[in-house]
Amino acid sequence: MKPPAWAQLVLWAVAGENEAEFVAGDLHEEFLLLCAAEGRSTGSRWYVRQVLRSAATLLGLRFRSGEAAHLVAAALVAVAMPLLLLDRLWSFVYSNIPFKDGLQRAPGFWAANVVCVCVCAAVCGSLARTFVRAMGVALAAAVGAGCALWCSAATAPLFYAGLVILAAPASSMAVFAWRRSR
Amino acid sequence: MKWVKRIAIVLAVLLIVPTVTLLVLGHRANAGIARAAVEINAPPDQVWTWLDDGDKLKQWVSWMVDVKYPDPQKAHGLGAKRVLVLKDENNGGGLMQIAATYTEYAPPSRMTLQVADTEGLFNGEESYRLVDLGGGRTRVETRSRAHYMEWFANFLEPLITPQAEKKMVMDVARLKRLVEAKAEVR
Repeated sequence: MKPPAWAQLVLWAVAGENEAEFVAGDLHEEFLLLCAAEGRSTGSRWYVRQVLRSAATLLGLRFRSGEAAHLVAAALVAVAMPLLLLDRLWSFVYSNIPFKDGLQRAPGFWAANVVCVCVCAAVCGSLARTFVRAMGVALAAAVGAGCALWCSAATAPLFYAGLVILAAPASSMAVFAWRRSR
Repeated sequence: MKWVKRIAIVLAVLLIVPTVTLLVLGHRANAGIARAAVEINAPPDQVWTWLDDGDKLKQWVSWMVDVKYPDPQKAHGLGAKRVLVLKDENNGGGLMQIAATYTEYAPPSRMTLQVADTEGLFNGEESYRLVDLGGGRTRVETRSRAHYMEWFANFLEPLITPQAEKKMVMDVARLKRLVEAKAEVR
């Protein structure tokens, strides 16, 4: 019997390399006991609650150990910064239209943003050595992309925003998995 | 080391390919030229007022907030000047001014204006041709040519001009709607 996959992924993403295995092991043991006693749905609910409640503490531990500094740097430099720079570039382009224009962007510009964010997140993912680190990088890439979207001047369509937030961690993890398989 | 090289190559390609593309496209024959045309169900003299009158101009050119006449005695005609004030949402909502001088004025068929940004970022020409199609219909052809003074804006011209053309197409579509709505009321 396995706990919800997304909750496991969150756990691996927020916990540091030193804690992830032990915490995941302990939670899994408790989860199995609870499933046997009260059923799978109760076990799953308990597991999700535990993960969400310990996420902040685990993230705090990761920051204190210095490990998170790399992730924050990766997210800021590799994902948020290029997105913000592209946003400024597109603002400059639109500002130079002789009779000016608004904050809507052409689909080509959104596509360029997505390609750039995927490439940069993939570069970050390729540098991760372990699965826990790769998960952290993926989470940081998604957060970085979200922050960049929030700070950007343009009016981003919902579809584009969702695509960027999902594509950044996905490309990071894909390149990590591809590199590990070789 | 192998991966560092690969990453460096990817990043270099990401920069070099767009740069070369922009440099090549910047040398095309119609660089800086944007065109738009629309057929309006109204006679040329009715359409003309929408191009010549500042208050009407503000209604169909998006982001234009004001039209000033430095010399109110000579607001129209050859050599007359007007200052177009535009809101630049991409520059923190700041107001930009474009000085326009009539270099051709033949109502109700031809109008050309020499335009220049007061901050010296670009200059160019804006021309309108009104063709009487008969039966109370007019074809409006507008052409804009811009030359960017700043090297970076000039470098990005292949990106700017298509967006300027798209904006121009939207503006003339709005002009069509407004003119036809007023013509129906009459």
